[in-house]
Amino acid sequence: MRRRSFIQSIAGLTVVSSFLASCQRQHVIKGSVIGASSHTGHLLRDKNFAAPVATTEHDIVIVGGGISGLSAARHLHRQGITNMVILDLEKEMGGNAACGSNDISGYPWGAHYVPIPNNDLTAYTDFMRECGVITSPPEAPLPTYNEYYICFDPEERLYINGQWQEGLIPQFGVPDAEKKQIQQFLDKMQAFRIAKGEDGKDAFAIPLDNSSKDPVFTALDQLTMKEWLHQQGWTSPYLQWYVNYCTRDDYGTTYDEISAWVGIQYFASRKGKGSNADHHDVLTWPEGNGWLAAHLKKELQPYFRNEALVARIQEEDGKLTIDYFDVKESRLKRINARQCILAVPQFVAGRILHDEARIRKVHQHIQYSPWMVANIRSNALDERTGYALSWDNVIYDSPSLGYVEATHQQVEQGKKQKNLTYYLPLTGKSPVEERKAAIERTHTEWVKMIVDDLDLVHPDIAANIEEVNVMIWGHAMARPLPGTAHGTIRQELGASINDRLHFAHTDLAGNSLFEEAFYQGLTAAQKVMTQLSAKI
Amino acid sequence: MSKKENGAQWLLLTAVFVIATCGLIYELVAGTLASYLLGDSITQFSTIIGVYLFSMGIGSFLSKYFSKNLLAWFIRIELLVGLVGGFSSALLFITFPLAASFRLILYAIVLITGILVGLEIPLLMRILEKKVEFKELVSRVFTFDYIGALLASLIFPLLLVPHLGLIRTSLFFGILNVGVGWYLAYKFSGEVRQAGLLKASAIILLLSQLVCFVFSEKIMTYSEAMTYDDNVVYSTSTPYQRIVITKNKHELRLFLNGNLQFSTADEYRYHEALVHPTFSSLSNPEQVLVLGGGDGLAVREILKYPAVKQVTLVDLDPAMTKLFSKQRMLTMLNDSSLLNPKVRVHNADAFTWLRNNKTKFDAIVVDFPDPSNFSIGKLYSTTFYQLLKHALRPEGIAVIQSTSPYVAPKSFWCVDTTLKAVGLHTIAYHNYVPSFGEWGYIMATPQEPHQWFSHIPAPLKFLNPTTLQQMLTFPEDMKAHQLLDINKLNNQALVKYFEEEWSKYLER
Ligand SMILES: Cc1cc2nc3c(=O)[nH]c(=O)nc-3n(C[C@H](O)[C@H](O)[C@H](O)COP(=O)(O)OP(=O)(O)OC[C@H]3O[C@@H](n4cnc5c(N)ncnc54)[C@H](O)[C@@H]3O)c2cc1C
Repeated sequence: MRRRSFIQSIAGLTVVSSFLASCQRQHVIKGSVIGASSHTGHLLRDKNFAAPVATTEHDIVIVGGGISGLSAARHLHRQGITNMVILDLEKEMGGNAACGSNDISGYPWGAHYVPIPNNDLTAYTDFMRECGVITSPPEAPLPTYNEYYICFDPEERLYINGQWQEGLIPQFGVPDAEKKQIQQFLDKMQAFRIAKGEDGKDAFAIPLDNSSKDPVFTALDQLTMKEWLHQQGWTSPYLQWYVNYCTRDDYGTTYDEISAWVGIQYFASRKGKGSNADHHDVLTWPEGNGWLAAHLKKELQPYFRNEALVARIQEEDGKLTIDYFDVKESRLKRINARQCILAVPQFVAGRILHDEARIRKVHQHIQYSPWMVANIRSNALDERTGYALSWDNVIYDSPSLGYVEATHQQVEQGKKQKNLTYYLPLTGKSPVEERKAAIERTHTEWVKMIVDDLDLVHPDIAANIEEVNVMIWGHAMARPLPGTAHGTIRQELGASINDRLHFAHTDLAGNSLFEEAFYQGLTAAQKVMTQLSAKI
Repeated sequence: MSKKENGAQWLLLTAVFVIATCGLIYELVAGTLASYLLGDSITQFSTIIGVYLFSMGIGSFLSKYFSKNLLAWFIRIELLVGLVGGFSSALLFITFPLAASFRLILYAIVLITGILVGLEIPLLMRILEKKVEFKELVSRVFTFDYIGALLASLIFPLLLVPHLGLIRTSLFFGILNVGVGWYLAYKFSGEVRQAGLLKASAIILLLSQLVCFVFSEKIMTYSEAMTYDDNVVYSTSTPYQRIVITKNKHELRLFLNGNLQFSTADEYRYHEALVHPTFSSLSNPEQVLVLGGGDGLAVREILKYPAVKQVTLVDLDPAMTKLFSKQRMLTMLNDSSLLNPKVRVHNADAFTWLRNNKTKFDAIVVDFPDPSNFSIGKLYSTTFYQLLKHALRPEGIAVIQSTSPYVAPKSFWCVDTTLKAVGLHTIAYHNYVPSFGEWGYIMATPQEPHQWFSHIPAPLKFLNPTTLQQMLTFPEDMKAHQLLDINKLNNQALVKYFEEEWSKYLER
C-alpha cells in the first residue's frame, strides 16, 4: 500500500535515512527573519526628532496596543469614553499576542494559549463569555467552556529515551526513585494550590498581586527555583529538567535564575474549574492569543493609530503632550491629552519619559529575555514510535521548547500540511549576549538550528519543510528574578505620575501572562476613570 | 611478467572490485527490504548481516572442492550471483503477499547469495595464485574487496535507494555481475571450455534483467495487487485515501486505505440495517442528509422511500463520489443512486459542512470510517453530535455506524454514551454481516416516541419485523460491563477504547 512512497523516501529506516537527511538538507527553504519592528523601535534610541508638525487634542492616550493597552481601552470604551487614541508602533495591535496566517491556518507569533480562568476573576470570565469562550450564563454554578477552544486531545507529548510519551512529565524510562520525587513535587504543588496565608488570601493567586503576603510564602521569593528544589532534597535530573522546562516555557527564564515563588506560581495559581474543563486544561486557537486580541480589538478600531512610535511624553502645567513619529508619513506629531496610560515595557517607558532615574532603575532590576519563534510550514512528517502528534510536542533535553501544531484545533479531516510554531527562549548566555547573537544570525543559520533540533524526532524534516519564518523578540518579557514578585521595584516603577500618567504592562505584574495584562489594563483604566470623574 | 599477464591480472582485480560492491549491495537490499516488509529494522539488519556473513563462510569452505577449470567455475558463479542477487528484491516483493513463509524465502535467498559470493574471492585468488606473488595477491585482492564494499555502503543510501528504488538497484547490480561473467568469458574464451555456452547464457540473463528493469513499476503494482486476495480491478490514490476495488467470481470489494468497506456479497445486510430501521420509523422523511457514504449504497436504500424529496450527500473525497457515479460496474451496484435528481453531492469536510449548515433534516445517516485515529475520532465527539442534533428536526432521527459491538463493545457503547450526553435518545442495534462480523448501529433522536419500524418497505433481502426484533437484543458478550467515558474533543476517549479493543482482537 505505502510501498512505493516508502521506496522513494525509505522512511523509518534509521540506518539510511540519516545519511539521506544530511544530503537533502541542501534544498532551499523559503522564508525570512522578522523582528518585532526593531528598526522602528530603535529610532527611539538613536534618532533626534524634529519638532512636531500637527497637534490634536484628546482626553486619553494609550501608548502600546498589546493586551494591557487593549484591555485598558476596552474598559474605557465601556465606560463611555470616546475621545481616545491608542498608539502602537506595529502595523497591527496585539503586541506579544501577534499572529499571522497562510492558506493552511492562522498561527501565533508569540503567546498561544491561556489556561482555564480562575473562577474568581469575574471581569476576565465576563470577557471570555462575551467572546463565546464560556457558553453558560454568569449565574450557572460552573462555567461551560466552548469545546472548540479547549485544547483537543492529544494535548502534549514528550520525546524521551527514544520514544514519544503522553504528557510532559517524564515517565518513560524514568527510574522509580525519580518517579517518586516527581510525584512528591506534584503533590507539593497541589498543596500550594489550595494553601492560604494568615491574611486569608490564596498563597498563589492570579493576578500575582492578589496573593497572600504571608512571609511563610513570600520568603520563597528570596531564592531561586533550583535552590528551593535542592532544599527539598529533590535531586532527580528528570524532575529538574521538567521544572526547568516549565520556567523556560512560561517566563523564558531558567530554573537556576527564576524566583522560587514565581516558579511555584506557575503550578499553584491555576485553580479554574468548569462544568466540562479543569485547571489543567488550556484554551487555544490556531492563531493563539491573537484570537483573544482580535476580540478585544473588535469595538476599538476607531481609536487605533498604528505605525505610531511614541517618542516623548512631557508634562507641563498640568497638560500632557505626547509626541509620536508617524512612520508612514515619516513625521513627528503631537497630541495634547488629559490622561495617558503607558502600556509599554518599562525600558521603553524610561526612554519615552526621558527619565534617567527610571532608565537606570530598570537597567538595574529588570532583565528582558530574548526569544525566537519560528513558524514552519511543512508536509506530513515521518514519526518516531510512541504517542501520536499532539498540540504541544516537546523533546527532552532540547534547547528549544519544541513546537505547537497550529492546525491542531481544526476539525477537518485529511489535512496533510501543517503549520508548526517553534519556540526557543534564548537562555544560553546572558540576555544581552543572546540578543546580540540573535540579531546577527541569518535565516539559513536559524533554519539549520531548527532542523538540527527537530531532525531527532522527524528524520525527514529537512526535505519536508516548505517555509520557515523567524520572529526575534529582543525584549520578549521581563524575567521574574528573585525579589521582583514581592520586592518594592514593581510598585516604584508602576506608581502613577501626578495622577495623569499611569502604567500598565506585564513588566509591572511580576510575570508575563494574558490575565496579568488584562488586569494591568483594567486597573489603569479604573485609575483614569477616577481622575476624570474627580475633575468633572 | 608479460604485459598480457599483467592486463589479465588487472582485469580480474576490477572484477573483484565489482563483485565486492555487488555482494554488499545484495546484503543491504535484503536488510532494507526485510525491515520495510517485516518492521523492526535492528533485528532484520542484524539477522540478515549475520546469515549473510555465515553463508559467505560456507562458500569459502566449499571453495576447496573446486579443483579444475577454475576460471569457468568463476564465470558460472558470476552468472549465478547475478541471477539470484539481481532478481532477489523483485522476487521478494512478489512473494511477500503470497507466501506464508516469506521469511524462509528471504533467508534462502540470503543464504544462496552469501554462499556464491563467499566462493568468489577464494576462487579468484586461486586463479591469480600462479600469476602474482602471494603477498602481493592477498594485499591487492583484499584492498579492492574492501574499497568495493565502501563504495556500496555509500552509494546505496545516497543514490540508489532514492533514485532507483530497491527492485532496480538489485537488478542493476545483477546486470553488473552478469556483465563481468560475460566479459571474462569473452576475454578468456581461449582458456575456458564451453565459452560459447557461457556467453550465450550471460546474454540471455542480461536481456531478461534489462526487461525486468524497465518493467519494475509493473512488478510493484502486481505485488500490491497480490496483497489483496482477488484481482485488483481498480486502484487510485487521492489526496485523502487509497481506493482499491477487487473482484473475483462471486463478489466485488471496496477497500479504503487497505480496510474493507464492503463486499457485494453481503453489503445489503449492512446498508439495509443502516438505513431501514430509521426510515421505517419516520412518517414523512422528506429531507435527508448522508455524511460519508460516497459509494451511494446507503442512498440506494434511502431512495426506496417515495416520501424522500431530497438527499444531501456530503463526502470528503470527490474521487469516491465520481467513481460511484460514473463507473458502470459500480452504478449497477448502487442503482445509479448518485445520479438521481433527488440527490445532491457535496464534496466537503463533514464537520465543517455541518458547522455551517442551516437546514433541518428528517433523517441523517452517518457512515464514517471507524474511529481508528484522532482525526476521525473528532467525528464521534460531543461537539459533532451537538451539530448533528441541531441539524435534526425535533421528530427526526439520525443513525450512526458504530463499529462492532462484539469486537469493541466499549467503543460501541461509548458512542451511545456520547450521543446521550448531548441529550439525544438512542436505540442501539446490531446485525451480522459476514464480511465484517457482528456490526453495530445507533439511532438517535431529539424526541421520543416514534412509531418505531412501522413502515418497512417490501421486499428486502435481510430486514423484516422478525429480524429487527433480534437486532435489538444484545447478548452479554456485546455489552460494555463498565461505566464509559463520554467522547469529547479534549479527551478522545473513543479512539483509546477502539485502539485497545481492536488491537487485542487482531492479536489473536
Ligand atoms: C514568545 C512568547 C510567548 C508567550 N506565550 C504566552 C502564552 O502562551 N500565554 C500567555 O498568557 N502569555 C504568553 N506570553 C506573554 C505575553 O507577553 C502576555 O500574555 C501579553 O501578551 C503581554 O501583553 P502586554 O500588553 O503587557 O505587553 P506587550 O505585548 O509587550 O505590548 C506592548 C506594546 O507596546 C508597543 N510599543 C512598544 N514601544 C512602543 C512605542 N515606543 N510606541 C508605541 N508603541 C510601542 C508594542 O508594539 C506592543 O504592541 C508570551 C510572550 C512571548 C514573547
